Amino acid sequence: MLLIKCPHCGERAETEFSYGGEAGIQRPANPDALNDAEWADYLFNRKNPRGMHAELWNHAQGCRRWFRVERDTVSYLISDSREL
Amino acid sequence: MSEALITAKVLHDCGHINLRGRRNDAAFVAAVESVCATSLPQALTTAASGDLRIYWLGPDEWSLVTTAEKTAALLAALNGATAGMHVAVNDLSAAFVTLALGGSKVRELLAKGCTIDLHPAAFASGACAHTGLAKAGVLLALQHVEFRLIVRRSFADYLLQWLHRSGAEYGIEFV
Ligand SMILES: [Zn+2]
Repeated sequence: MLLIKCPHCGERAETEFSYGGEAGIQRPANPDALNDAEWADYLFNRKNPRGMHAELWNHAQGCRRWFRVERDTVSYLISDSREL
Repeated sequence: MSEALITAKVLHDCGHINLRGRRNDAAFVAAVESVCATSLPQALTTAASGDLRIYWLGPDEWSLVTTAEKTAALLAALNGATAGMHVAVNDLSAAFVTLALGGSKVRELLAKGCTIDLHPAAFASGACAHTGLAKAGVLLALQHVEFRLIVRRSFADYLLQWLHRSGAEYGIEFV
């Protein structure tokens, strides 16, 4: 089980959290100006790296806040955790 | 079992007010603290003042628990003191069931279903934590030697059954 550090509550068991995917996805400011490929890229395409990954987690059974985590997808090492 | 090592009691006389506002808004903090006659608790702690307990839920969220009788007046006072501010004050009394748990084995019982560290050095009087207990979301707090367990009403029956079964080896007594 992962121990994930919530920036507000400290380290808690993985079962208290829900995963929110890649961090830093920006909704396009003007969706009408996008073509289908660009809109699909925003909706579906993710980096999915082997190694360090910036991702969102929600402390669902704790303070219920979203925050940003840097996690290595190979070793599962969490090197950073901070408020959005 | 001759002696109950754990006692559990459903506290029926409770009112729950959910309060949200900005911690760095000095006017908001001052307004709430003057109504409550205590300071808003910091992360993972409880503040107490008379019948009132204030539990930290998150960086901009608290749960205020008082007697059922005093809830309406507290709600009105909070609404009055924070009028015009960026806040949310809601009476959630009907949503929660509050339990008081005591006894020498209560930490052992809770540890069966809870992943946070309940050692006295890690979870001392004044501590509060929203966490999972036997997969149900609960607010767990400790004041002196008494644990308070606040759970959504729809989970209360399940959690009481879990306490009943998991506490059997300690002779848990529902009073
Ligand atoms: Zn948290």
